[in-house]
Amino acid sequence: MTERVWEVFRQEDEGDPMIHSGNVNAADEELAMHYAREMYGRRGESHRLWIVARDAITELDDPDLLKPPFDRSHKKPGGYIIKHKLEAAKARAGSEAGE
Amino acid sequence: MSATREPPSALKEPVLDMAAREALAELLLGVADDEFVIGFWDSEWTGIAPMLEEDVATSSIAQDEIGHARALYELLADLTDDDADRIAFGREPDAYRHAALLNHARGDWAFSVARRWLYESADAVRLTALASSSWEPLAQLATKMRREETYHRLHADAWLRRLADAAPDVRGRLSGALTRLWPDAQDVFAPLATEEELVRGGYLPEPMRALHASWQHAALPVLELITGSLPAAEPSIDGRTRRTEDFAWLHGQFTMVARSEEGASW
Repeated sequence: MTERVWEVFRQEDEGDPMIHSGNVNAADEELAMHYAREMYGRRGESHRLWIVARDAITELDDPDLLKPPFDRSHKKPGGYIIKHKLEAAKARAGSEAGE
Repeated sequence: MSATREPPSALKEPVLDMAAREALAELLLGVADDEFVIGFWDSEWTGIAPMLEEDVATSSIAQDEIGHARALYELLADLTDDDADRIAFGREPDAYRHAALLNHARGDWAFSVARRWLYESADAVRLTALASSSWEPLAQLATKMRREETYHRLHADAWLRRLADAAPDVRGRLSGALTRLWPDAQDVFAPLATEEELVRGGYLPEPMRALHASWQHAALPVLELITGSLPAAEPSIDGRTRRTEDFAWLHGQFTMVARSEEGASW
């Protein structure tokens, strides 16, 4: 029996995010479902499980794409000081509303 | 088995006469012992199942069965003014009333899968009937058990198909186990001494022979694809009373702790 790895995502309650919980080894989707249920749902702790074959996941971990060598600070909000502009805008909106 | 529980549901029901209580007690004891004994046999796989995930799954299912047995023993204890722990652990091997199918030792993995499938398929037919029992506490419990047993059946089905489609040597082991267990599997539907009373009162909505026929009708086509033609087989009169050395050994195991300190509360 050739085993595959299946990644398991768990949702605690309806509307909650699906959070990666771990993985199980199983020969196929059917047994993967049983094992995921036993590992991540047998105590009634899960509302929903997603079971995904690891080899069906597209992975991106290339540092050239994710951690580029050049300065990226201009892509972060911290690079801009907008506090004063924001206060001025709020004041303007308030005074207009008050008129 | 001393966890808090609801007041005995039997008391909320119309009073049952002596004959009805006796009949229900016989019915409950057989079902409870089936669940109890298969739970202990399958828990023999804990730590040595074919792979870690299956180890957890098998052990968890075995625990579920013990849980069902506990609920049934409690119902029985309410009915007979007895104690669930005493019924579960305080009897000699000859006083157990599980079907002959559950007399056999765990065997290899194929044997356990074969037995589990035979038992689950028969239990499903029985639970469907019990879910419409005229005795409400039993109907409610059977309905609740069916929710878990559905999953157990899917698991047993999954393994039966896998072993059946595997290499000839594996398929041969499965086929051999099914053929060997086939006669004793009938005894899940062995006739009960009080059956007439059970059926008359609607406690058991259909006689055992009718349930047996439904089970064979559903199970045979699946089994014969694996085993080839199986011999005609019927439940036997001593199907719930004959015991084996294998069971005597298991009994020694599961009563070991209870015997070590009689009457202790856990």
